[in-house]
Amino acid sequence: MTSAPTVELSIDELVRDPYPMWEQLRAEAPVAFVPALNRFLVTRYDDIVELEKTPEVFSSREDGSLLTRVVGPNLLREDGDAHQRIRHAAEPPTRPRQVRDTWGEIFAANCSRVLDELEPRGRADLIADFAEPLVEMNLAALLGIGEVPPSLMGSWSTRMMAGNGNYADDPDVWRNAEAATSEIAEYVGVAVDRVRDQPDGTIISAMVHAPEPLALPEVQNNIKVIIGGGINEPRHVFGTGAWKVLTDPALRARLVQEPTLWRKVFEESARWLSPIGLYPRQVLSDYEVAGVTLSAGAHVALVIGSGNRDATVIEHADVFDIDRAPAPHLAFGGGPHFCMGAWVARHEVSALAWPGAFDRLQGLRLAEGFEPEIRGYVFRGLTSLLVEWDPVG
Amino acid sequence: MAIITFTLPDGSTRSVEASPGISLMKAATSNLVPGIVAECGGNASCATCHVYVVSDNPDLVCPDGSVEDEMLDFTAEPRRPESRLSCQVEITESLDGLVVEVPEAQV
Repeated sequence: MTSAPTVELSIDELVRDPYPMWEQLRAEAPVAFVPALNRFLVTRYDDIVELEKTPEVFSSREDGSLLTRVVGPNLLREDGDAHQRIRHAAEPPTRPRQVRDTWGEIFAANCSRVLDELEPRGRADLIADFAEPLVEMNLAALLGIGEVPPSLMGSWSTRMMAGNGNYADDPDVWRNAEAATSEIAEYVGVAVDRVRDQPDGTIISAMVHAPEPLALPEVQNNIKVIIGGGINEPRHVFGTGAWKVLTDPALRARLVQEPTLWRKVFEESARWLSPIGLYPRQVLSDYEVAGVTLSAGAHVALVIGSGNRDATVIEHADVFDIDRAPAPHLAFGGGPHFCMGAWVARHEVSALAWPGAFDRLQGLRLAEGFEPEIRGYVFRGLTSLLVEWDPVG
Repeated sequence: MAIITFTLPDGSTRSVEASPGISLMKAATSNLVPGIVAECGGNASCATCHVYVVSDNPDLVCPDGSVEDEMLDFTAEPRRPESRLSCQVEITESLDGLVVEVPEAQV
């Protein structure tokens, strides 16, 4: 057994395009210590799957977690029974049948509302002006705080995310994040009082009325986490898929004939440009993977963005191809922390947002001269998607 | 121990020895039976460990109204009366000789 090699990576380059570096790591140092991230990066598909399914060694509780500092103890940073208790309480409204039957209509109405407002304009940033408010409205409704305006949901999420990445310890960032979390706590408190006597299909209601109910601070902390993590990802997947379809007329024509193919666009978008590129784990006991030993206490990142491009498992992995042989991607993570919002995102993006926008906005096309900018390695996606269409009326 | 036989989409079969108490999914994945993905590791959240259980045993039918029942509506291959999420089937001695069909796709 040997220790992992140290590999110097530039954060700036990772933000611009991490994929060449992930490819190099997979080939040369599949478990590597990266000083700039102060972590061991695990980059091969099979190793990531193995570690995800070994939560008794790779703990989600992390010393010094900034997420925990921002929102308090929460399900993303718990293991075993403590995690399961919260997950089971929160999960029912996110299961696929409840998404379709309870939330489908509300999400569809939200989608129409945003499109009604957009349609006369003739041009927009399809991510900032459509996907983002839609996702924010849907999430607010699903949580049980539907009265919160979408822009406030977005502002909360942005301020908390800035805190989660505040390695520079900027006091203004902490202040902004704290202001966001105390505002959320207040809204959640009101919602908890409401659903106590009137249970409904929302996540807050599910948490309050679970067989093992969550206490108020637990409800508040976990709603903060969901707001922090539930907006960026569906927004980014929407942007990736919309851009790919707008630049591929043959694919676009097929989607008109067969709208259920949007679901394949969804899975391939999430694989090809994983909205979450990596996430942390901490090693509880010495463990050997890919020929090197990770020691107890080590901080690890599972680089699912890299695993999703591992050509030893996924053929021509760098190509966007909805017709590829079905290959399970890692974009939703795996094991007990498998993304709770997976079915919500699949429905709102592939059954509603994409077909809705492409159907309603006649002659939808990329704005003249638009070149996408794609950024990020922890969270990655298009920064904007400027489009035009033929306005009606 | 119970011997479980998996029938794969290409018609070949794989028999594994499974210890009572573990799930049918674990029995498959720990013996590297292909075609069972189990993204969520056994929590009935992903619907990627779908199998068809070939048996008349009424105890092996998916319980109505369970989380598993809901998830089975969203499997990649069509649901059949004998559909189960293998993570929700516990191995017992009485399952010795069980035959399980692995569907074409999980995603």
